[in-house]
Amino acid sequence: MNAAVASPTPLFPDLRRLWSDAPAFTKLSVMLILALLPLYAAMAIDTRVFQGESPWMKPVKFHFALAIYAISLAFFARYMPATTRASRRWRWFTASVVFAILAECAWLSAAAMQNTASHFNTDIPFFTAIYNLMGAFAVLLTSASLAMGISIWRNPNTGLNPAVKLSIALGLILTFLLTVITAGYLSTADGHFVGTPVTGATLPILGWSREVGDLRVAHFLSTHALHGLPLLGLAAARMGDARGPLTLVWAGAAAYALLVAAVFVQALQGLPLI
Amino acid sequence: MLSDPYQLFQLTSPLAMLGWLALVLSPLAPRLAQWVAALVIPALLSVAYTALILVHWADAPGGFDSLANVMALFTDPPVALAGWVHYLAFDLFVGAWITRTARAEAISHLLILPCLVLTFLFGPAGLLAFLILRAGFTLRARMTGVPA
Repeated sequence: MNAAVASPTPLFPDLRRLWSDAPAFTKLSVMLILALLPLYAAMAIDTRVFQGESPWMKPVKFHFALAIYAISLAFFARYMPATTRASRRWRWFTASVVFAILAECAWLSAAAMQNTASHFNTDIPFFTAIYNLMGAFAVLLTSASLAMGISIWRNPNTGLNPAVKLSIALGLILTFLLTVITAGYLSTADGHFVGTPVTGATLPILGWSREVGDLRVAHFLSTHALHGLPLLGLAAARMGDARGPLTLVWAGAAAYALLVAAVFVQALQGLPLI
Repeated sequence: MLSDPYQLFQLTSPLAMLGWLALVLSPLAPRLAQWVAALVIPALLSVAYTALILVHWADAPGGFDSLANVMALFTDPPVALAGWVHYLAFDLFVGAWITRTARAEAISHLLILPCLVLTFLFGPAGLLAFLILRAGFTLRARMTGVPA
């Protein structure tokens, strides 16, 4: 028992550090999950239908997605230099990211209240203006992964296996780069589907189309690079020799980017994932 | 069905009653009573209220800017239900505050029972009754130096 506590590299990271390393992201994540209560209650009493499902489906999905994003950033924050985390500049940046995420969620629920589209809504100038503003907020909130990826990359004292450190930094940086490309394109398209006919056949839970191209697949994989690559890094670190694991992580990052490119092109051609 | 405001109404009133029962019996278990009447039940009612507003506000008639508009608002069954749930949640929350404050200031529970009944039936009138009762205790304490 005591050996595990005293060990410099414990088997499982201390989750209590979420609250001290990234208090704003951690609190935000908990709040987004608790705010699901009224959203699910609204879904239970709402008989309206928007594009084939409850208007509350979309805010619910975004609350889950952004809560996972925020808690992931809060977890990786421990590998940044402590001085960076404590800096005024970093605290202001995280505060602006938290604000951007809250603004996105507020807008999604406001659109659901009106039973109208939160995305791709250009019917009235006011909605177009909000849609553009939300696009700017989306870039801001995604840039948190870039800033953290660079900070971890440049931190010589993460205490991590080099392959794991590289995979975390690359995962965060790729999350930003790939998401900005795929979600940026998605935001300028007419909708997330490419092609016809759309009769409503979708994959369970994820909701991706099984009939036409769905640009959300590439967005999903892009944004989950911050989970996928560290898993690869953990596996690579099990390999013994010094250079092999690093090469494997670099190759994995390249392969991941190619995979995202492949599903992106597939959707652009109007083909479903499966 | 939960989407029917008439049936939802049937669920909210017993819930609030449970909270008031907890307050009346609170000397038996003060902390449990506060947990029920100041946290759990007001939170549940607030979830119901928020959901009703989220779903029905966009199509509601009227508004807050004139009495005629407020009356128009209450002609819409789900919005009227939201208004009712608002009373239930806030009255109970105030009732819990009265109970908590009386206990902290050693005001007898028997004396605040009428205040709780008034708050339950006529919200602000019950709050006013308690504030007057409490002012009497405070005045006596100030003038005589004898607490409660």
